[in-house]
Amino acid sequence: MSDNGTGPAGFLKEVVRRQYFWGVVAIVLLLLVNLTKDPSYLSIGWNDANGALVGNLVDILRAAAPIMMISIGMCLVIATSGIDLSVGSVMVIAGAVSMQFLAAAPNTFAGAMAALGLALLVSAVVGLVNGILVSVVGLQPFISTLIMMLAGRGIAKVITGGQNTSAVNDSFRWIANGYLFGLPVVFLLALAIVVLVGLLVRRSALGLMIEAIGMDPQAARLAGVNRRGLLLAVYSISGLLSGVAGVFATASVMTVDISRTGYQLEMDAILAVVIGGTSLAGGKFNLTGATVGALLIATLDKTVVFLGVSSSATPAFKAVVIVVLCLIQSDRVRQLLRSRRTTGSRPSRKEAVAA
Amino acid sequence: MANNRFLAKFMGLVAVGALALTACGGDPAGGEGTEEGQATSGDLTTVGFVAVGPEGAWRQANEANIQETFTEDAGFELKYAPAANLDQKSQIDAFTSFVDEGVDVILLSATEGSGWEDSLTRAQEAEIPVILIDRGIEPDNTDLYVTRIAPDNIEVSSAVANWAIEEFPEGANYFVLEGPAGVSVVNERNEGWDAVIGEAEGFNKLGAQTANWSTEEAKSVFETVLKSNNNDVQMVFAQNDEMGLGAVQAVEEAGLVPGEDVKIATIDGTKNALQALADGKLSFVAEYNPLFGETALDVVNKTLAGESVDSYIIVPSLTFDSPEAAEEALPDRKF
Amino acid sequence: MSQSPIVEMKDISISFPGVKALDGVDFRLFPGEVHTLMGENGAGKSTLIKALTGVYRIDEGVISVDGDVVQFQGTADAQEAGVSTVYQEVNLCSNLSIGENVMLGHEVRGRFGVNWKATHEAATKTLRKLGLGHLDPRASLASISLAMQQLVAISRAMVTQARVLILDEPTSSLDSNEVEQLFSVMRQLRDEGVAILFVSHFLEQVYAISDRLTVLRNGQFVGEYATGELDQASLIGKMIGKEITALRSLDSQSAARGHRQDAETVYLARGLGRKGSIEPFDIELKRGEVVGLAGLLGSGRTELARLIYGADRPDSGDVEIHGHKVAVHTPAAGLRRRIAFSSENRRDEGIIRDLTVRENLVLGVQAKRGWARPLPRKQVDEIVDKYMVELGVRPSDPNRAMRNLSGGNQQKALLGRWLATKPDILILDEPTRGIDVGAKAEIQEQVLQLAAEGVAVIFISSELEEVVRLSDRIIVLKDHRMIAEVTNGPEVSAETIVKIIADHSTEQNAPVARAHKTKEVAL
Repeated sequence: MSDNGTGPAGFLKEVVRRQYFWGVVAIVLLLLVNLTKDPSYLSIGWNDANGALVGNLVDILRAAAPIMMISIGMCLVIATSGIDLSVGSVMVIAGAVSMQFLAAAPNTFAGAMAALGLALLVSAVVGLVNGILVSVVGLQPFISTLIMMLAGRGIAKVITGGQNTSAVNDSFRWIANGYLFGLPVVFLLALAIVVLVGLLVRRSALGLMIEAIGMDPQAARLAGVNRRGLLLAVYSISGLLSGVAGVFATASVMTVDISRTGYQLEMDAILAVVIGGTSLAGGKFNLTGATVGALLIATLDKTVVFLGVSSSATPAFKAVVIVVLCLIQSDRVRQLLRSRRTTGSRPSRKEAVAA
Repeated sequence: MANNRFLAKFMGLVAVGALALTACGGDPAGGEGTEEGQATSGDLTTVGFVAVGPEGAWRQANEANIQETFTEDAGFELKYAPAANLDQKSQIDAFTSFVDEGVDVILLSATEGSGWEDSLTRAQEAEIPVILIDRGIEPDNTDLYVTRIAPDNIEVSSAVANWAIEEFPEGANYFVLEGPAGVSVVNERNEGWDAVIGEAEGFNKLGAQTANWSTEEAKSVFETVLKSNNNDVQMVFAQNDEMGLGAVQAVEEAGLVPGEDVKIATIDGTKNALQALADGKLSFVAEYNPLFGETALDVVNKTLAGESVDSYIIVPSLTFDSPEAAEEALPDRKF
Repeated sequence: MSQSPIVEMKDISISFPGVKALDGVDFRLFPGEVHTLMGENGAGKSTLIKALTGVYRIDEGVISVDGDVVQFQGTADAQEAGVSTVYQEVNLCSNLSIGENVMLGHEVRGRFGVNWKATHEAATKTLRKLGLGHLDPRASLASISLAMQQLVAISRAMVTQARVLILDEPTSSLDSNEVEQLFSVMRQLRDEGVAILFVSHFLEQVYAISDRLTVLRNGQFVGEYATGELDQASLIGKMIGKEITALRSLDSQSAARGHRQDAETVYLARGLGRKGSIEPFDIELKRGEVVGLAGLLGSGRTELARLIYGADRPDSGDVEIHGHKVAVHTPAAGLRRRIAFSSENRRDEGIIRDLTVRENLVLGVQAKRGWARPLPRKQVDEIVDKYMVELGVRPSDPNRAMRNLSGGNQQKALLGRWLATKPDILILDEPTRGIDVGAKAEIQEQVLQLAAEGVAVIFISSELEEVVRLSDRIIVLKDHRMIAEVTNGPEVSAETIVKIIADHSTEQNAPVARAHKTKEVAL
């Protein structure tokens, strides 16, 4: 938005001020930790068999793709001062729809496209239902999406008849496992979608309006902003993106796991958004930050495995890293650190001429 | 304020809907027995089944088999209560309500081994016999339950280890894909494996990591394991079929050939796994026989008649070590 | 006043990055006086108060209380030394009881924790001392009016044994009765020897209550005066730094404008109403006229305006705009019909604090276009440049967050937002409340300018003088009902309106007979 940094030093200052800067630092730190365990950790090779880059970084990008999808959806919802707890359940619904469809459909490109379309349609509809509960019925976002989170897995179970359905379709499988220009298709797709959503939000007035209703719903309404329509759109987008994430997750192994696919991923999404510097109170949001957050979570997941941290300690390890990060981001802690460094006679609060 | 009342009502409706969905989703046989059974329950023996619910093909076969065995024709009313998302709390709730209801027998497949003492004591006080199905409890206090019917995990995993020693006389680098930490099955499968492989020479454990019984997670985990060991992994011990199939995909993605470069052994013996074995992608499948409804029925009848039974009843299981063996077994495979 | 000051601030300077907020300001406060701090928004009044209470650290200068040099580290410190502050927005806990709020942190403790009975008795005693004996200390704070809450906040300050009481704009949301009640409490405290520092934008009130004045301008000390020795015009002159001819010339402009009986009818409503909010009313707006809404706080002025805009949904009546029958049930619909409504609640319903001035300015136009058709950047710049300059929004950087602007500038930017939507009908609800004299004059001028350009303006204000000065017609409301319509003229004054309201008996239940009333008053 506004760059008032001058010269490289100013630019650097500007970068450090960005909330997600610390997310980037954390990613780098984690990679360094892995590097000390194995000096060739960052090396990237070439696999002639499928024309693809091979390496840990590539794996991280691939693992980040579904998290990126639910994170940017979540980011928009949180900006409206709502929350979408159903992202994980929508993932499993999308997975169930596509697998169930493909299990009966022929192994063709058309079949894959039909499954994709159907899964995304169903996901968007579930998102729309969330939106209706929130904006038309007027329920709390937390409650509405909690309902959908609980009901979602039930719906998925009904769709597959309670089984973990597997299917075979090479085109569909390619979405999650294929390579393009040596990079995983799934990451390129995710990146393209992030950019697309970013353009949609920032090039249109959607971003401004989402921020307006997130900051002050009353004032925004009186300014003529159509809150209902916006909420419907935002929750539908979140549903749609969760559907994409569900397709990514299930296409990777061509199996939907009713109880595990997308399980507790709403936490990952919320964390990614917070790491990215979007306040849970709504208002200003940052899609780049959410993407960095998603990458950080993927890096963390992979690091835990790479270091061979005992499986029962995994959640604790994750929690420690995230708590540290949130501490660094917290204004209060940063202020504490700053005042340690400069115990000068500056005014304690830097408010401009509000007087 | 009007919203609040609406909300309460709405939540109620949704909850009921979700429960209904869960119930019929988890019960592929079509929810027979429960409702209709109530009317004639005077003559029937009521059995509460605290189950695990959707987890994988093995569990599916196991629970369907139990449901098909304890039918009204056989003189039973079976109340099937699957856990919500493998959550122990929901199991304890179901267990408690079975005790309060005063069912005749409780069958329990615990999602987690520990934390059952209080519930089991309550059942004991109410004089309701509890029979453990498949999963054991920790600490294993045999006074708290009648018997545990299960294939022997230790035996099954020892069989995998014995095969590994035979297959790799020189030893090998291997990796273990575990189920969720703390589950008794995981502990027992580790125990059986470690006991045998620890005796052998040249076996180097690269590590163990949970993949929560899930194909997707197993693939992601093993992909990283391959990288961190520069593909120098000869063998994978996957504690269930789904994770083994995930490992197969990770191996293929890395440009290696499963069955040649990396040999993968799994436990369970589902149709998908046998198919993969037949295709040469898996190298060894140890069956963990889920079809022991008849044994359970027999034990329930004996217990209710006051006869004593052993505190551990082992269900016999098979192993498959070649594509040919798999091909042979595939047509009759029920799960 | 021969005694020594209880608070003395000497040569105080505070700088913020890029701005010198206070520059060598002196201030003295004696026991037993009401001392008003005067100045436009941005003059440094709030900064001075925050310096005194330790919210800001001072860069230069000395603060002494009772002759001892002090440096408070925050409001808690200040309170310890007997300096209590009651802010513009009451900072009490609305979910606690009145008594709990009064005694918070000073509860009477017995052997088993807080003795609630004794605590509430102590609260009652304090409340009675301030003539608030009728309040039940066990009632919830939310159940009493804002004015009463303000008085409760003062009671709370008394419990902490304050010797210095700072009242920062306590009257901005009170009606005249409530102000009188507040003043009697203030006088009582003053007579007990409490030193009161008062801040208000209402000149009449300042003259009614204060003993002395200190005037600040642009962070600098202008002077300290006894209230009786400085007339209002000179005071305003000192505040804005020039003789104010602008305000006076407004009077003549109003008289010269005359009526536009022949102008085209823009808006016509018949029987428009909403149950529990306002009785059905008829209203007609013509091109280029200013219609004032007069009435006491809570008379239904705001409710009427909200119905016209669609902020509330009417449940009866028909609306014609430019002769076409239309339904205006949402703000978005209002905007599409070229109606704009600036709410009296600037903070919660007007500006969006965390957006930039630029974003606030274009929000209305953008909402009207819909999100899918973003304003081209060039057009945004045009709108921003135009209204920042035309309305004189300061500071002139549009990329600052709205919350960093003073109240008056926020109001100007908000006006800009509505003007950018090119309205045919502009409704301004209390656009001049809580802003300084200079900005007030600018906004008033702007209103007349817009009317001259053909906009129909509905102007709502608690200051009757202002309504009378600006309006072509005045609609009088009382108890949620339109009771009269007055055509403005030389013989109409604030007193005329007051008389209409006072004379109107509430028993008249019949719907408003507009024509009849008009005649009665116009002569």
